[in-house]
Amino acid sequence: MKKIISLTINDQSHEIAVEPNITLADMLRYELALTGTKKGCDTGDCGACTVIMDGDVVNSCLVLAIQANGSVIETIEGLSTDEGLSPLQEAFVEKGAIQCGFCSPGIIMSAKNLLDKNPNPTEDQIREGVSGNLCRCTGYQKIFEAIESQRS
Amino acid sequence: MKEFDIISTRAHRIDTPDKATGQAVFTDDITRPGMLYGALLQSPHAHARILSIDTSKAKALAGVKSVITHEQAGHIKYGVSPARYDETVFAIDKVRYIGDEIAAVAAVTLEIALAAVELIEVEYEILPAVFTLEEALKEGAPQLHETSPGNLCAEVHQEFGDVAAALKECDIIKTSTMKNKRQDGAFIEMQGCIAEFDNRGVLTLVSSTQVPHYVQRTVAMVLGMDVGMVRVKKPYVGAGFGIKAAANPMELACCILARETRKPVKMNFTRKQVFMYARARHQFSHTITTGAKKDGTLMAIKHECWLDGGAYTSFGIATVYYTGSLLGGPYKIANMSYDGYRVYNNKPTCGAQRGHGAVIARALFEQQVDMIAEEIGMDPMELRIKNMMDTGDTTCNDLNMSSFGMSECIEAVRKGSDWDKKKGNMPTGKGIGMACGFFVSGAGYPIYRSDTYHGTVIVKLTEDGGTALVYTASAEIGQGSDTAFAMIAAEALGIPLDHVRLASGDTDMGVDLGAYSSRQTLMTGHATKDAADHAKAQVLEVLAEQLSVPLKELDIKNGFITFAGDTPDFSALRTRYIKEHRGWIDNPDSEHLTFKEASRIAFLEKGSIVGTGKYKPHNLGGKFKGAAVGTSPAYGCSAQVAEVTVDMETGQVTIDSITDAHDCGKAINLTSVEGQMEGSVSMGIGEAMHEEVIFNDKGQVLNADLAEYKIVTSMDMPRIKAIVVESDEPNGPYGAKEVGEGAIMPTIPAILNAVYNAAGVRINELPLTPERVYFAIQDYKDRMAK
Amino acid sequence: MLLPMFEFHEPLSIEEALELKKKLGQNARILAGGTDLLVHLKKKLVKTDNLISLSRIKALSLITEQKDSIFIGACATMAQISRSPVIAKKFTALKSGCDNLGNHLIRNRATIGGNACNASPAGDTLPALLIYDSVALLESYGKKREIPIADFFTGPGKSCIQPDEILTGFRLPIPTDHSGAHYIQLGKRKSSEINVVNVASFLEYDPGTKKVITTRIALGSVAATPIRAARAEAALLGQAPEEASFFAAAEMARREDCRPIDDFRGTAGYRQAMVGVLTKRTLATAYERAKGA
Repeated sequence: MKKIISLTINDQSHEIAVEPNITLADMLRYELALTGTKKGCDTGDCGACTVIMDGDVVNSCLVLAIQANGSVIETIEGLSTDEGLSPLQEAFVEKGAIQCGFCSPGIIMSAKNLLDKNPNPTEDQIREGVSGNLCRCTGYQKIFEAIESQRS
Repeated sequence: MKEFDIISTRAHRIDTPDKATGQAVFTDDITRPGMLYGALLQSPHAHARILSIDTSKAKALAGVKSVITHEQAGHIKYGVSPARYDETVFAIDKVRYIGDEIAAVAAVTLEIALAAVELIEVEYEILPAVFTLEEALKEGAPQLHETSPGNLCAEVHQEFGDVAAALKECDIIKTSTMKNKRQDGAFIEMQGCIAEFDNRGVLTLVSSTQVPHYVQRTVAMVLGMDVGMVRVKKPYVGAGFGIKAAANPMELACCILARETRKPVKMNFTRKQVFMYARARHQFSHTITTGAKKDGTLMAIKHECWLDGGAYTSFGIATVYYTGSLLGGPYKIANMSYDGYRVYNNKPTCGAQRGHGAVIARALFEQQVDMIAEEIGMDPMELRIKNMMDTGDTTCNDLNMSSFGMSECIEAVRKGSDWDKKKGNMPTGKGIGMACGFFVSGAGYPIYRSDTYHGTVIVKLTEDGGTALVYTASAEIGQGSDTAFAMIAAEALGIPLDHVRLASGDTDMGVDLGAYSSRQTLMTGHATKDAADHAKAQVLEVLAEQLSVPLKELDIKNGFITFAGDTPDFSALRTRYIKEHRGWIDNPDSEHLTFKEASRIAFLEKGSIVGTGKYKPHNLGGKFKGAAVGTSPAYGCSAQVAEVTVDMETGQVTIDSITDAHDCGKAINLTSVEGQMEGSVSMGIGEAMHEEVIFNDKGQVLNADLAEYKIVTSMDMPRIKAIVVESDEPNGPYGAKEVGEGAIMPTIPAILNAVYNAAGVRINELPLTPERVYFAIQDYKDRMAK
Repeated sequence: MLLPMFEFHEPLSIEEALELKKKLGQNARILAGGTDLLVHLKKKLVKTDNLISLSRIKALSLITEQKDSIFIGACATMAQISRSPVIAKKFTALKSGCDNLGNHLIRNRATIGGNACNASPAGDTLPALLIYDSVALLESYGKKREIPIADFFTGPGKSCIQPDEILTGFRLPIPTDHSGAHYIQLGKRKSSEINVVNVASFLEYDPGTKKVITTRIALGSVAATPIRAARAEAALLGQAPEEASFFAAAEMARREDCRPIDDFRGTAGYRQAMVGVLTKRTLATAYERAKGA
């Protein structure tokens, strides 16, 4: 049976009726058309569906939409500003940290969360901070460079 | 050397702003009105006869719109290479691996489609199955295909020079074996597609593919349609690495479901289905004998390889040839023999993956080069340079190195890694190793025998506004090809990159064989340059006439018309342009005539300015059987140095750094070139260190997810020093050639050579799990103790 | 991948949860972080008609310090435990277990209760729970019981929790002075890994006599459950904390205490050998830490 949940997504409040077995990832993608959040495995192994939930990054494929009731969610769509790409997104473009781009929204969300919590991460902390986000294209090198360039 | 304005820079990629914001559209992001959802029924048995299929219960389920089996799909055989078509969309009389497709359902929701699949009743007669080379080759073994007795899918026997005679002259002969494990592409976007017919009978298939062209032809052939009535479009694709380089049964089933229902149908593989479909790197079992003189001259290679192919051929026939042919270089070796065998068994089918066919042969051979160097007391780099082919050389199997910066790459990594200081001076447990490798820059021939152009490109100038539109059917799958072609078009036209728009990945835009064999930069790049040159010539012809200036004195640079002689009075043209743009506040007022004005004038005189370009390689290769495989208009090459730490007690290997130099000809985009190098290295590290598809004794994949199939994470990746070595490739557009696959070739042997240097052990089986390294070290200690 | 349909319950108090558990019994599964359960449901390895989520029960996510022990709520996440100052200071082996589980995304959801209830022999926090002599706190409707962690695990994926019970948390005695602990896990890659072998050791020595007066060694992935290495502990007790005695204890753990099997992640032979190496290494580091404590 559907239940109405209310949550804030990218500063906008939503009320939406969801079945209990719908994941947050599927709700974002298929109910709200926020398709920037990707699904690369659906079992919490790849990190492509990373969103920020109440200040922490999570695999949205392993969170039930109903569990996000009352939560504040940030997705990749919420990152760019009126002026366009955020500085972090710009850095990913500038450094060549994006190839196929399928993991990029998730990695950028992890990187944002890392920098929000720790504006000056060490290389090890950067590696740790995206350790759940698999990238098969880049070898991570340019992803590290992009995040390093955003240290304050 | 020529100065360039656009190419050879670090221009930002044109696709990445949309990818950084989540705006870039991938297949599963698309929803069509009235769309149905499809699901596949796949065999739970590795080998079984199908006695009956009853779809009645599935059809009766509310919400189900179509259930199809071989009866609807037909019995037309397809595959990759026409001579080896051995697949049908759905199994007809028997299934050959766990995952073989039997039926498909379209329903109003995915939930219903999946429920309906469960309701299809199939009666099987279980057949004995074979899962290994040994089992499949045994006398009396169960046979997979009636047409291939002994389960032998393909065999190759080649000899160049006289290997036996050459080996007799050798002072040092090394024979060793090596085995890898089956790989998985492990791209992050799982395959998915949406098929839809319009009311005139035109089929549009949107798919996550590397090869819209081949998919179009396969779909048309299997569905019995004119190629012109089938359009295949590739939105952004979450990478492929070779696995998405052929039509898959889901794409075909999806098209048939769309035909049956007259509704758009979407289908996706789950991650488990990605593993079941497979089509990634084979398991190779190599035995190589290499002979050398005591001065280090390499004399002969005797090479035998057995490929564990799985249930169908797929790319396998090309694979088994590539495995042999790409040992022909990069060293001068006059004598080489190769015996290759690809064997069927009841596991998912292997296909092509980055470094197609050649990666493990290279991994073994480059270790033997080190063994020889060690035995004669020569630096491994010196030995390699001593034997290195020169630009213009041709291998014993007729591969021509029209540009070849291999020695420069070695020097670059020697310096970049501080090799001379480190080699021989590292404590136990620390090691340094190197290796070389090369790869084709585009297969010399298409997969189906044809005189087709390998790529056609259209450059159309906008009727107003000075923007160039590039239309290509090539496939941007993450490697940066869209940006490379936009840059090539901008360079050729003489306009800023911002003034080029590009659309790709659509068979309506022309012919392009797609993203495989590292072909696009060279081949599509050529066609792009050709088309841009053609468009530019048309603009300049009009100008020459209008301004009464000799054509050869005219050029375009940075968006302005340049004149070799005095600048003529172009005020009439400018006035004409401005007159048509009353109300515009940014009309041109520079001292120079702009491309914007010139292209508008050209349109006013001639109508739409459309440049067309095309490319196919010149005739390549020798005359022997299989001579086509391995040929290419050019070869990219790489040298790498790996530094490792081996925990002598646990066997854990840590890769401390990789120094990588690659000769890509002229780098179109330096950042993208480095990206390909770094990505190749990471895939090589994964294969060397922890990737393997593991089966149980029923032929079922035990690790069909990205938790247990272990690709490299951010924590495993060493820092890479990527050094771009540029040569001028005469067969490449602006001198460019490949980087996407050559760069993986040295990674595995460089690591293996470094592990040997660190721990004294040669390991002849991948991956280098701590366990495997530990037991090798124990074995070594036991031998030393005796 | 779709999740099967189920009813979702979100009690706000332990009492409410226990009532539900009593009512639904075997027909309900407890949902904590969901990093395993939701995967198992998607893969159809687990079936249930009801999910009882504990995430809205605040008391279950607390980490509180008492006089001589700490309480870790069953729903405390890996990331949360790792951030706790008292854990970082006094329970280093547990912190390193938490830091090594999965990856940064999983650690934000996975809970210590979930890790324990899954009862995987390879569970990352379990050797640490064993060496810190934790007590599992179980509640059923109107009833509480306390189970020493050594008695908690009964088989792969099995624990002593009854169908009407909920694990509310763990109580860990605060280690004494002159004690230290360490945890090492060994896998094929450095993140998102399932352990091939994991070992934690705890050691307390008497600075006067320079002898080991307490030691607990726990081995993961080498038996049906995470286990204590009783013979190795006995071998080390009363010995001088030095390399030779660590090695002797490690040899005992390797030869006598572990009972590994072959599976696709590794062979019994390798696992056994690594029990020796990791036991020795964890003891050596534990002693270094004890000296500094």
